[in-house]
Amino acid sequence: MDPFTAITLAVFLPFILAAILPAVEKVLKGNIGWYASAVSFLSLLLIALAAPEIIHGGTIQKSVEWLPSMGIDFSFYMDGLSIMFGFIVSGIAVIIMSYSNGYMSKKEDLARYYQQLLFFMGSMLGMVFSANLLQLFIFWELTSITSFMLIGYWRNRPMSVYGATKSLLVTAGGGVFMLAGFLVLNIITGTFDLVTIMNDPSIIANIKAHDLFLPALVLILIGAASKSAQGPFYIWLPNAMEAPTPVSAFLHSATMVKAGIYLIARIHPIFSGTEAWFILVSGLGIITMLAAGFLAFRQTDIKGLLAYSTISQLAYMVAMYGYTTYQYPGIGVASATFHLLNHATFKACLFLVAGIVAHETATRDISKMGGLRKEMPITFVIGTIAALSMAGVPPLNGFLSKEMFYESSLEMGHLLGGPFEILIPLFAVLGGVFTFAYSIKFIDGIFLGKRRSRVLPKHIHEPSLVMLVPPALLSAIVILIGLFPSVAVQYIIEPASSAILLEDVHLHVSLWHGFTTALLMTVITFIAGIALYKRYDAIAAWQNRFNEIHPRFSVNYVYDSIVDGAKGKSKSFAAFMQPGPLKPYLVSMLLLFLFLGAVPAILVASVIIPANMEFGISFYEGLLLAIMVVSALGAAILKKYLHAIIAVSALGYIISLVFIYMRAPDLAMTQILVETLLTIIFLLVIVKVPQTFTEKIGRSVLVRDLLISSAVFATILVLLMNAFQGIASPFESISYYFIENSLPLAQGRNMVNVILVDFRGFDTLGEIVVISLAGLGVYNLIKSRSDDT
Amino acid sequence: MTTLIARTVSKACLPIIILFSVSLLLAGHDNPGGGFIGGVMFATAVSLMYVVFGLNYIEALYNNNWDKWFGIGLLVASLTGIGAMLFGYNFLRSMSIYATLPLVGSTKIISTTFFDIGVYLVVIGGLLYIFKSMGEDK
Repeated sequence: MDPFTAITLAVFLPFILAAILPAVEKVLKGNIGWYASAVSFLSLLLIALAAPEIIHGGTIQKSVEWLPSMGIDFSFYMDGLSIMFGFIVSGIAVIIMSYSNGYMSKKEDLARYYQQLLFFMGSMLGMVFSANLLQLFIFWELTSITSFMLIGYWRNRPMSVYGATKSLLVTAGGGVFMLAGFLVLNIITGTFDLVTIMNDPSIIANIKAHDLFLPALVLILIGAASKSAQGPFYIWLPNAMEAPTPVSAFLHSATMVKAGIYLIARIHPIFSGTEAWFILVSGLGIITMLAAGFLAFRQTDIKGLLAYSTISQLAYMVAMYGYTTYQYPGIGVASATFHLLNHATFKACLFLVAGIVAHETATRDISKMGGLRKEMPITFVIGTIAALSMAGVPPLNGFLSKEMFYESSLEMGHLLGGPFEILIPLFAVLGGVFTFAYSIKFIDGIFLGKRRSRVLPKHIHEPSLVMLVPPALLSAIVILIGLFPSVAVQYIIEPASSAILLEDVHLHVSLWHGFTTALLMTVITFIAGIALYKRYDAIAAWQNRFNEIHPRFSVNYVYDSIVDGAKGKSKSFAAFMQPGPLKPYLVSMLLLFLFLGAVPAILVASVIIPANMEFGISFYEGLLLAIMVVSALGAAILKKYLHAIIAVSALGYIISLVFIYMRAPDLAMTQILVETLLTIIFLLVIVKVPQTFTEKIGRSVLVRDLLISSAVFATILVLLMNAFQGIASPFESISYYFIENSLPLAQGRNMVNVILVDFRGFDTLGEIVVISLAGLGVYNLIKSRSDDT
Repeated sequence: MTTLIARTVSKACLPIIILFSVSLLLAGHDNPGGGFIGGVMFATAVSLMYVVFGLNYIEALYNNNWDKWFGIGLLVASLTGIGAMLFGYNFLRSMSIYATLPLVGSTKIISTTFFDIGVYLVVIGGLLYIFKSMGEDK
């Protein structure tokens, strides 16, 4: 199988196989999770099939025509970066779906759960392999939507709904900014094809020199930051922890939140090597790293703690990708990419451990736990390995990439010189210290010490193997990459870094690399981290106090006031736009008609009433018109509804007579039939309301209404007179086309019908959809009203 | 309750109106008529029955929610459009052939008739759906 087919299948098979999942569930029942695991394993295999060529430095792009009129192709691109993400996404997916078999109760709506997980996996894979920016955007938003559905999986929990809404508003909203950024990029380059832009130095030089460089960069970065919970956009991630824990492990630690990192890495060749890139990206990363690391302290929810740690770990990567100078555009690229891989392994593992603990103790509150090492020793070992890796303890993989983070920070500081030589490494160490402290909290709070609360169940035990093997596997990977980094580096990190830097990258990563400054920084980190951990609870208490005193000093407060404010505003806006009674609607419609019809006519036309009007009215016409006037007046004046309705129907029937007189049988028939139906429907309604029109209308309102109707009357009269006189219109009438062509082109002699079903068939299709929707609308109006009473 | 005259006459009229509505539907392309008019006529015939005999009496004979009608109608109309795409033409492009049918003789068969059947079903379903939900409302 050629790599392109393999990747296409890897992306689309999850969608297709998820679509038939409910049918499969009928057969497999509670074991449906294994089907989903198999599907994700299939994707993993397909990506592995495509991988060898990429790992040896090749890239593959293949396009299918999509919107040829706009020059947009559906296009997949494979290079080291996308293959790495492909492996992470599908590999973690296999682990998560298998774990879910133990985690999710058989009573849950499993079909929906696995279906959405598979949809997510397909969208994520589609995103990382997209070469076209618009295509990337579509898959990007699909991941936001599937994430929204998975966070809100427990639909009747208010906090789930809140978290899901928040994540959708932030990430999908950020996606719109990103789209705007892509459009700006398209204005500069004239293409949506990422690969074309990336591989052409002249285009990149053009972008960097362009006035719109900064707007494009900022817009795209807003998208990336919102997805990866960076800067003020971090607020959605802690609330996203309401999702089932496997979902948090998969989407909100290992894959979806890395989409923003992916985007930063993807646009790295285009935007890096500029001051703006360093200031914006590294600045964002460093601030988020410190803030999230600090804020993690007051989290008592183990998943909340992990959420903040995810934010700060992602910020490491953002900061590293931001390290750039004109001469060395990608100082931290290799380290960031390595950390990305390592973080996916240890953080997914930590979440799975958190899931086990929450599953067995029926709480997620860390302040109630402690001493669990006795009851669940295996979980304790797995969790400790993963947490120590996050803390950066050798010989685990987190240590390696943390060292590289320090090294690249040193190098960046050195290249910038001045105060930065100290500041950047200092910030890096500070971030590391926070990380060390909250990692230790995870181990100490859950497993060590004594039980802090008696509310926990009496008999806590190890979970089933289904839940134990997946995190064990991940922790094994954590150790293996730590001990033998060269395999991962050679086959995953080097190709990925080469793809970002567009040149061959060779790395030498080993556990022991002599007494370097980075090693010294690590030692400082451990010492300071232990010292900080001693004061952990005091800091958390101080944060809680601060929050109580200054409740407004938070991004969440801003978010809530915006969202709640929007709700209130839209309520009053709706009340203004939709007052209820029909009359205001009619008045505004007629006024608009006057504005659009009468005003231009008066302004433009030199003669409003044609000079030589010829009124030839036959006796029958006159008679019909007289009856029409009488019945119209009757409809307006009569007090009883029944009489008024009869008058309206009389008017309708007379109009059909006029149509007959004008030799328009189709119209006449339609008019008669519709009038009949309308009369019956009116009568059906009328029996349920008071029979007499009782509303008092004030004199001023009456005068206003009379003025409006007279003005409308005069306008229509003048328009008709002009039309009748055949005043030269600015456009040629289209009727002749239909008269001439309905028989030769559409083989029909009934022009009205030919227009309806052939020339304007699409309109008619829309109209019958409207009829159906109107039917459903009336049904719902009536049913919802009877439910209220 | 309505009079004996109304009941007898409407019973007699029902098949005539329905047949007429079908003829309007099929003849529509060359003569006055078409799916919309035919559909409205069918709907008036049924609503006549509802009014004369009452909802409950009719439902005892033939209980229908009418929502299936406009669903199927939409399906028929859209499939006609997609049918043209199968032959490589644009959506809803019309085609006609002359065929000799038994009993009828040489007849023009045109694809828009199927589209019109869809319109017919939607109009019947939509109108009667509205009609019935209003009539059922207490």
